[in-house]
Amino acid sequence: MVSSAGRTKAPSGLSKRPGRLIPPELWADFFRGERLACARLVTAVENSPESIPEILDKIIPRLKGAVRVGVTGPPGVGKSTVTAGLARRAVQAGHSVGVLAVDPTSPFSGGAFLGDRVRMQSLSDDHHVFIRSLASREGHGGLSPSTPYAADVLDAFGLDRIYIETVGVGQAELDVLSCSDLVILVLQPGTGDVIQALKAGILEAADLFLINKADLQGTEALLDSLRFLMDVSASQKRRSLPPVLKASALLDKGMDETAAEVERLIQRLVHSGLYREKRRSRLEREIRAAIAQDLWDKFSALAGADEAIRDVSEELLNSMGSPYPFIRETCSRIRVELAAERIGREGKE
Amino acid sequence: MKEKNRTSWEKSFERSGLRDADFSTISGRPLRPLYTWEDMAEIDPRTELGYPGEYPYTRGVHPSMFRGKLWTMRQFAGMGTAIQTNQRYKFLLEKGQTGLSVAFDNPTLYGLDSDHALSAGEVGKTGVAVDTLADMERLFDGIPLDRVSTSMTINAPAAWIFAMFLANAEKRGISFAELRGTLQNDILKEYIAQKEWIFPPEPHLRLITDLMSFCADQVPQWNTISISGYHIREAGSTAAQELAFTLADGFAYVEHAIAAGQDVDDFAPRLSFFFNAHLDFFEEIAKLRAARRIWARAMRDKYKAKNPRSWLCRFHVQTAGCSLTAQQPEINIVRTALEAMAGVLGGCQSLHTNSMDEALALPSEKAVEIALRTQQIIAFESGAANVIDPLGGSYYIEQLTNDLEEEAGRYFRKIDELGGVVKAIEQGFFQREITRAAYEYEMALSRRKKFHVGVNEFINPSEKLEIPLLEIDESVEREQLDFMRRIKAGRDNGAVRDGLGTLTAAAAAGRNLMPPLLECARRYTTLGEISEALTTVFGEYREQPFY
Amino acid sequence: MADRRIKVIIAKPGLDGHDRGAKVVARALVEAGMEVVYLGLQQTPESIVRAAVDEDADVVGLSILSGAHMPHFRKVRELMVKSGLGNRLLTGGGIIPTKDQGKLKELGIERVFGPGDDLQEIVDYIRNKAGRARKE
Repeated sequence: MVSSAGRTKAPSGLSKRPGRLIPPELWADFFRGERLACARLVTAVENSPESIPEILDKIIPRLKGAVRVGVTGPPGVGKSTVTAGLARRAVQAGHSVGVLAVDPTSPFSGGAFLGDRVRMQSLSDDHHVFIRSLASREGHGGLSPSTPYAADVLDAFGLDRIYIETVGVGQAELDVLSCSDLVILVLQPGTGDVIQALKAGILEAADLFLINKADLQGTEALLDSLRFLMDVSASQKRRSLPPVLKASALLDKGMDETAAEVERLIQRLVHSGLYREKRRSRLEREIRAAIAQDLWDKFSALAGADEAIRDVSEELLNSMGSPYPFIRETCSRIRVELAAERIGREGKE
Repeated sequence: MKEKNRTSWEKSFERSGLRDADFSTISGRPLRPLYTWEDMAEIDPRTELGYPGEYPYTRGVHPSMFRGKLWTMRQFAGMGTAIQTNQRYKFLLEKGQTGLSVAFDNPTLYGLDSDHALSAGEVGKTGVAVDTLADMERLFDGIPLDRVSTSMTINAPAAWIFAMFLANAEKRGISFAELRGTLQNDILKEYIAQKEWIFPPEPHLRLITDLMSFCADQVPQWNTISISGYHIREAGSTAAQELAFTLADGFAYVEHAIAAGQDVDDFAPRLSFFFNAHLDFFEEIAKLRAARRIWARAMRDKYKAKNPRSWLCRFHVQTAGCSLTAQQPEINIVRTALEAMAGVLGGCQSLHTNSMDEALALPSEKAVEIALRTQQIIAFESGAANVIDPLGGSYYIEQLTNDLEEEAGRYFRKIDELGGVVKAIEQGFFQREITRAAYEYEMALSRRKKFHVGVNEFINPSEKLEIPLLEIDESVEREQLDFMRRIKAGRDNGAVRDGLGTLTAAAAAGRNLMPPLLECARRYTTLGEISEALTTVFGEYREQPFY
Repeated sequence: MADRRIKVIIAKPGLDGHDRGAKVVARALVEAGMEVVYLGLQQTPESIVRAAVDEDADVVGLSILSGAHMPHFRKVRELMVKSGLGNRLLTGGGIIPTKDQGKLKELGIERVFGPGDDLQEIVDYIRNKAGRARKE
């Protein structure tokens, strides 16, 4: 199965005209600005991936250019508190704000304890921020596959700053890169060795490093480790270093500066054309992933495809053979199928 | 079982076959079928047990225990307005209880006035509503405060409730030196279990030490704090967790007061404790004995207290509320009796017995009378009060006491590793331990490894409630609001404002807050006005939840 | 292919701090495969319903042991209906006398649970009713 960060399984039949899975009243309510309609559309992208093409068809023309700010980092560093602090300031600066907070789905029960929202309580009460908790589902502990689509829904709804808070383990740091315009990596002192464990790529790709709980011991040591690592990679890649800030979100210290820096980075992103480029990359990825998914679905829809793969693998174990003859043969069958389809179509025209 | 020659009993026991049951305590501690003199071989009775009233106090805090004086029969009570509660106090005293215990309503517990937005629907429902000194006056009207000791279960706003209590005594011409009683005033367990706080930990701790030093000077017979395990247990902890977390809180208060410059022997004699008496009879008795021994050892050897009264773990016991069932409520009388007996055999200084209807409502007169009579039967009929520490020397009890002390020791080390009680609270250590224990117990009930009669076994499917239930009328809230309005209209509001100004100045300057609080109380400042004033200096606390 | 998980909000309105039951139920629901938003203590009816809207919750569960259940349930029910969540399941637990359970039924709160109710029964009730509460 195709797996690219943030992509959910779309069904077969993409090339057919999508059906009407979303009732027209819901669209009417949504475009009228009804909060529950927005929530229900997010549920649709979560629970009914087959409705995603239809939803995207309708909302992509209405996207208003919201900026998606990803907040990632190891568990326990205070991502929720940081997100709440930034979101509150964004509201005060006149933005309409949404938060998507992802928590891990239990691999055993399939359920999830969604506990980020409660840490942002006053945000919702006082500032009417739209806060939605998402379970990571098949996202393997990083983001939920529906996260980028949920962000699109919030964008079309009219929210212009969307904070995406990850689970903080597994693929999280990389998943968030693909669906955010800006990524903040949150760390805390006393966890220098955690930096070693961060997925390769996040250090280079994060736009801002925030050392939270900076009132604790070990802040300087962490700063040193970061600078060292970043110097090394910067000299290799010849990039400029991203800003490193300190804050204590719980005590609401350093958050004004952090919010100001985020805003500055956003402006730079928008004016430099980088925002547009990221959008383009996302579209490319969406197209490639959807096509690959569709092709795969076509193949696995062929009668006996799954059993064939299973049987061949069993046989290969016994015979100690390479799988590539089978792979070549199968791909050739797909080409034949596609050709037959084309001929069939041409025949009808 | 010891590995050496198996006794004839062991062989016969193995041949006998077992019931299909779970033979562990309610806390999940596995138990052997038999404890013998061989288990006692490792226990030196002289150092581990000693004599009652002597270090390490395993057998009791006083030399004569119940031969000298019975435990205080102190029923926790409060409902509706102060007038209704005053009537209930007189009823209880007339029925033979020997001490008072005040239950406040939720708004009061949180330091809110009855007219606060969050108080709507809650006034007088789970205790008495107290907004000003005027309510204190009505609450204790006709009750001889110089002869009856009073316990007040109040934590976050304890200092200003106490100020109102003192102001009332003053108005009645009773000197502070004559007042006897206890304030619960244990904020650490609020962060851990009961969740009734106003400010973050530091300001609350400071209020506690202020009160302790004020009382050492002016209210010398008052127990300034009742370090509580009851609520921790009610939240679902095991017996060992209740024991360890309570004593750890105690150590934290001692350390805080010492750091604030107080001499340990100045305040330690007035520290007291509050434990739960739960269903597992023997585990509870052992837990209480272990508590005394652990506290004595720590106070003498670690905190270097010189006064033997500083080494005493004196405690109140309440039978377990969470053991009561809404189903077949009459059988709660039996549960309470067994739990109360465990409290007595564990050597409690005062005891509250729950009423049978408390899983349904606040106690009715009939139910609370039965609860009181339960204590009187234990005291006057059962013989349990005739001999000091009657279970001392029981192989099982001594082994269990040792096991609990050891398990508590492991928890103390863990808490130290985390940086102490306050740090452990911030990291959610206690909350997670308790939540896990609660869930495991619930699962054990679901899987029928543990039983709750009437609930998951021996159920009466078509039972009908046949006992009278107390109802708090909706008019209570209106009455209380009217009363408060009248008091506020009749007082000198300028003086109230000045008093609050003095209070906030003292709070910001780090001065002892009891004198300005007392002055605010005298002027009929409301509970909520004081809470709000202090919040401007200390800030509000919002929990980072842990699961 | 629909991959629905039941979304549940668990909250404690008002001043009651006894959260043992709420936490135990929340955990049981998670173990049963549901997605639980635990709002915790000192919630107002407004904050609870706002969360229910944003989260598009199938179920709202209130835990109240303070005797203040009637005003809280009444207000939450009213706000749910006003926000378009009238067809979602509102339930809860705590210390709720039988007489009041009748009154709650009249308000549309079909069932509440008390001390001693089996966890599995609560999980099953929510699972069965949550599905039917929404017409989708």
